[in-house]
Amino acid sequence: MHSPVKKPALINVGQFFERHGAKLKLELLACEDGLSRPIREGSVNRPALALTGFFKFFSNKCIQVLGAAEMTYLRSFDCEKQYQILRELVKRAVPCIVLSRNYVLNPALRRVAEENHLPVLRTSMITKHFINMATVALEYEFAPMTVEHGTLMDIQGVGTLLQGKSGVGKSECALALIERNHSLVADDLTYVSLINERELVGRSSELNRGYMECRGIGIIDVASMFGIRSVRLEKRIDLVVKFVEWEPGMEEDRTGLEQNHYEILGLKVPFSEIPVRPGRDLCRLVEVASMVESLKRMGHNPAEEFNERLIAHMARQASVREKPDRTR
Amino acid sequence: MESSESTSSAPETKREKTLVVQNKMGIHARPAAMIVRAANKFQSEIFFEKDQELVNGKSIMGLMMLAAGSGSKLKAVAEGDDSEDLLRELEELFERKFDEP
Repeated sequence: MHSPVKKPALINVGQFFERHGAKLKLELLACEDGLSRPIREGSVNRPALALTGFFKFFSNKCIQVLGAAEMTYLRSFDCEKQYQILRELVKRAVPCIVLSRNYVLNPALRRVAEENHLPVLRTSMITKHFINMATVALEYEFAPMTVEHGTLMDIQGVGTLLQGKSGVGKSECALALIERNHSLVADDLTYVSLINERELVGRSSELNRGYMECRGIGIIDVASMFGIRSVRLEKRIDLVVKFVEWEPGMEEDRTGLEQNHYEILGLKVPFSEIPVRPGRDLCRLVEVASMVESLKRMGHNPAEEFNERLIAHMARQASVREKPDRTR
Repeated sequence: MESSESTSSAPETKREKTLVVQNKMGIHARPAAMIVRAANKFQSEIFFEKDQELVNGKSIMGLMMLAAGSGSKLKAVAEGDDSEDLLRELEELFERKFDEP
């Protein structure tokens, strides 16, 4: 039932530069030939301690950022000593070095870089901002990924993944939802990443973004028919709705008191099964299911609240019945 | 159903049973769902009567609106070929206190 979890492919410095360079205001200063070095850990390290010669717990797999502290420390030595210090650092197979705050590539670093084919990048950002943005970018790159069979919609802010056998009416339902001003994220195949181990983000493949397949009509371009509002690049998945063909005697959820879950990448997502019968307006049902989920997130549980009212009412009735007994 | 005669001649598939609500909280959402689920397995029609209120036993809202607290008596009326099995199953469910205290 579940697609296998794809381990995030390792990215190399070149890919990182290509995908995030503009956003992170990066420029390549030295050693283009080292761009194929892999980044083996999805975070950023400031090697201040390592520069002093302390290499225990040195995160050599991460991008190394030299900021004000590191550069000022290096500057307190002559060129030869700087070279020795940096050589020790680079010996440990770091993927690349990033200079923040537009620091100048000094001769010692240039020499080490060239000798080791180590790319040196530079950003105009201050170190703190660069680290924050680069960490977020790397978190996405290194997030566990999987592919879910289903159509992802953004229904008034509730990311709803529609599942069900092919032909059960997912696409028709998605179309009806789009007509009601909700947006399509991915049709039929949803690529899901687990971000920060607490959030599932779904998107379509870049190739079919904004397109969907409709039985009997063919491929349609959603954005050009319904406007740009009708498509969305990505959305957190808050709810999974599965359409199942109705059969006599099947168990349907009648109260909504029990919350079922569907697991994606180890995270539990609220899950409802909607039996499909001729004449049922699936779109309306999905819309309502999303709104109920939205209410629950805000702390309202309609099924529980109703049930509590009922139980309280029965308890009151019972106490009224008992009172005359006692006076008798 | 169509002629008045057939109802007056009391078809033998119509059965009645009085059931007592024995769990502490009465028929709230969960027991109501259990009753409906059990009733839906059968073809027979089922109605519950309490204090001159009559509701369909396959309607969860109807059952809850009876507000049948602990100790209340419900008259279950089933009609259909499998009405006997239906009532037996319901009786067992009420006896089990809907798996509640």
